[in-house]
Amino acid sequence: MSDLDRQIEQLKRCEPLKESEVKALCLKAMEILVEESNVQRVDAPVTGIFFLPFSMAAIVVFKLYNVFDIICGDIHGQFYDMKELFKVGGDCPKTNYLFLGDFVDRGFYSVETFLLLLALKVRYPDRITLIRGNHESRQITQVYGFYDECLRKYGSVNVWRYCTDIFDYLSLSALIENKIFSVHGGLSPAITTLDQIRTIDRKQEVPHDGAMCDLLWSDPEDVDGWGLSPRGAGFLFGGNVVTSFNHANNIDYICRAHQLVMEGYKWMFNNQIVTVWSAPNYCYRCGNVAAILELDENLNKQFRVFEAAPHESRGVPSKKPAPDYFL
Amino acid sequence: MAEWAGASESDLKEAEAELLPEGRSGLRIKGWLVESSKRPILGSLAREELEKELGVSHLPEMVFGGSALCLLHEGSGVKLHYNAVDALKGWMEEALPPVEVPAAAKWKFRSKPSQQVILDYDYTFTTPYSGSETLDTEPEKTNPEEYHRLYWQECDEQIDLTVLSKKEPILFYNEVVLYEDELADNGVSLLTVKVRVMPSGWFLLLRYWLRVDGVLMRLRDTRVYCAFSSDDKEMPVIIREICWREATIHSLSTKGFPSDSTAYMDPNLISQKLPIIKHKSQRLILSRSAD
Repeated sequence: MSDLDRQIEQLKRCEPLKESEVKALCLKAMEILVEESNVQRVDAPVTGIFFLPFSMAAIVVFKLYNVFDIICGDIHGQFYDMKELFKVGGDCPKTNYLFLGDFVDRGFYSVETFLLLLALKVRYPDRITLIRGNHESRQITQVYGFYDECLRKYGSVNVWRYCTDIFDYLSLSALIENKIFSVHGGLSPAITTLDQIRTIDRKQEVPHDGAMCDLLWSDPEDVDGWGLSPRGAGFLFGGNVVTSFNHANNIDYICRAHQLVMEGYKWMFNNQIVTVWSAPNYCYRCGNVAAILELDENLNKQFRVFEAAPHESRGVPSKKPAPDYFL
Repeated sequence: MAEWAGASESDLKEAEAELLPEGRSGLRIKGWLVESSKRPILGSLAREELEKELGVSHLPEMVFGGSALCLLHEGSGVKLHYNAVDALKGWMEEALPPVEVPAAAKWKFRSKPSQQVILDYDYTFTTPYSGSETLDTEPEKTNPEEYHRLYWQECDEQIDLTVLSKKEPILFYNEVVLYEDELADNGVSLLTVKVRVMPSGWFLLLRYWLRVDGVLMRLRDTRVYCAFSSDDKEMPVIIREICWREATIHSLSTKGFPSDSTAYMDPNLISQKLPIIKHKSQRLILSRSAD
């Protein structure tokens, strides 16, 4: 068994790697990710063929089995729930995966979650695609958990540095069989064509404004055209914006993540855009289900809904919290 | 956190308290029924219905619409309850102007899309809510013309913190989240209520906590206390204190406090750093009048 396979097995048990192993893994990942496009191409799954060992003289006996592309939304360090996701979707590399970012923060196991995905990426680069979410950022991870978790688990911030350096290399979007555009947040008024995304220099911390920021942060909203968030920063885009974008780029629909949906997925604007959310019982208290989008070789889609792992709640404040003499 | 197995049977028995049956969370004690319920966040359909009911187009991303804390005094019919829907009605009435995040300064210089709507609702869901009170059962009337009214009256009495600092056994404790929003990763807005019931009385804290990263913090606390009386039938003495605190990060940093958000994650630890902007004590009054 190679070192990498052993590390994958270890991470699957939710045991973090040594700091030196993380460093080496990140270096290998960087070599792979640097080659990826800002609009990373993902092919439809190809039906696999098993040749059966016993075949009669002139007849080749084989059996077709189904393979899928699976699109996943936010995970947020909910490691055991991500293992449920793999149970529902099937193991990588037999199933192809596309993760839409927000691997880290808020949950208890951001380190193990991100490292497992990264190790799978290095082991099976053509079978798993990881794109960047707004939490894959130095600034956000310092506030929402990943930084503190690295410090707690390793006693130093080196692992956080290796990981956040890798975040800068993650692709910004994916395009499945030229028909499904996938991105973490949404659209940008600075972007009308996919070629404009291709020209972004992505190897940097997520900026506070501009096209790259919008792709990772914006949300669909019932407005005509564009909306500006009441926060004074952050775009909202309406149905007509999605219609023009899909038409201009000849795509069927947009698949994005970024927003919590109680039912795990939600279509908007006459099925022109769908939100997929893959963190069940978000923050260990919302009680929501999660979903992944499964595509077959003809891009027929099926949402697979799943619940939180009973295991995930370990080490999490229990339903009967200890009494507290609050004042 | 270790799981709390609940109050001991001997403590409950000594206090003449009775836990609610399996499947419910709460207890009966000295004429009071205290009950909390926790449900998942509202689903898409329930959210749409609530938006329609309130006439709004935005709600916190996590609305625990089925969760509540309820305290009913069975002798007088006085009921105090704490729930997300009433709190959101308070948000709508107060309707504060939106708070700009630090990145907004840069965004003012961005080129505008040709068709742009600027949303201007209070996305922090700041609410003046300090609880709901109703008369569950009408008290007996001595005169048919008589009607009853329940209201809070300003008073000089304050909640006795020395009594609350005693380590009496806690017979029931729970914390219920009513709503929460991550402000699209620009901070937190959180409304929770927690309660503890002791042999001598109950105490609760309803807290609205807001942190807009790099901009401001707002803490609106309502503390309510009731000491059990020997007579279950008479109107109980219920005192509440409302305390609002608020500070901008800028004003804190000029006082030498840190300016990064990570220093302000836990409201319990930093509340004393926030200046008080409003404070009042009130007592719950049940009036009988005849017109």
